[in-house]
Amino acid sequence: MECNELLNVAGYAGKILLESGAEVYRCEETMVKIAQSFDVDEVQAFVMTTGIMLSITHKQQNYTKILRIQKRGVDLHKIDAINELSRTIKSKQYEIYEVMDILKKLDQEPRYSLPVTLFFSALSAFGFALFFQGSITDALCAFVIGICIKLSVLGMERNDINAFFQNAVSAGVGAFITLLCVQMSLCDSMDTVMISSIMLLVPGLAITNAIRDTVAGDYVSGLSRGAEAFLTAVAIAVGIGTVLAVWIKTVGGF
Amino acid sequence: MLLAAFSGFLATIGFGVLFNIKGTKLLLAGIGGMLGGVVYYLCKQMQYPEALALFCAGVSFAFYSECLARICRTPVTTFVICALIPLVPGKGMYETMRFAVASDAQAALQKGLDTLINAGALALGIILVSTLMRFLWHKK
Repeated sequence: MECNELLNVAGYAGKILLESGAEVYRCEETMVKIAQSFDVDEVQAFVMTTGIMLSITHKQQNYTKILRIQKRGVDLHKIDAINELSRTIKSKQYEIYEVMDILKKLDQEPRYSLPVTLFFSALSAFGFALFFQGSITDALCAFVIGICIKLSVLGMERNDINAFFQNAVSAGVGAFITLLCVQMSLCDSMDTVMISSIMLLVPGLAITNAIRDTVAGDYVSGLSRGAEAFLTAVAIAVGIGTVLAVWIKTVGGF
Repeated sequence: MLLAAFSGFLATIGFGVLFNIKGTKLLLAGIGGMLGGVVYYLCKQMQYPEALALFCAGVSFAFYSECLARICRTPVTTFVICALIPLVPGKGMYETMRFAVASDAQAALQKGLDTLINAGALALGIILVSTLMRFLWHKK
């Protein structure tokens, strides 16, 4: 059996998991499970939010691989699929190269297309506006602003602009358009429209993983996720705050 | 209440798509969001304080997600993330910032503390359920 190959496959699976926003313990457990499906003597995995270390011992030989994780997104479908895969490797008697093929195919699987993504983020903002007891016109405004915010996020993501700036600018864009809507008296409640559209930027994954990592005992990752969530909130506040402050100074109150 | 249910469902489904959930799981995640929204709404109707309402909602959707995850054999995260989002105290965050812009530091601090407590209550609900489920599951 080829331990180097196995190391690559297990590491690759871990990398996809972490990049898709899986918890740290899930990442570790999955890599260990994949490696153990091929009957090696010992596997140890150590994962943090920014990197993976994986070592396999087989026939008195040690093999180690370190992977650095740069990008972090959310793709729950991939987490689900790899979770499923790691459980079935043994029973389906996959060869190492087969697992690698499956992983590669999974990694290249397309997400929802741009129009669908835009539509659903807008729908989400629409839902929030109703959830916060806004009127139907508020909800329609939030729908449009939701599209703008998502567009600005996606545009900046494509150009590798850091997350803090991304959130701040997108929140600013959202706030600005909301103010325009209020100025043209298109919506009833500025607060409701603004809150429901910036809900799109809420770091749901960071919050959830901060909680789950902490519960699982991975305090370092839990803390770093918590910091990520907190910083995102600050970024959103900075974005809206700046726009509001400038607006009050130039156009006047609302 | 119908409105709370419907809007919670919409918001959650939207996020499900952004997080790339596929198939029936998307629908199930949406129902989780609906459940959280309805429980939160009912608690508010009964004049519960904000933090307690969020705690109850957190417990309810976390329990739903943990059970469903074990039935569907899928990571719990799939359901929890989506259901969590409508309940995140975005309103508190926003109001904190409004006071800060109006340079009313006292009110901003007050509101900020409130928001932190609310977020903490929501997190506590999820932690409670996830710890309990872990305990019960491993016992079997």
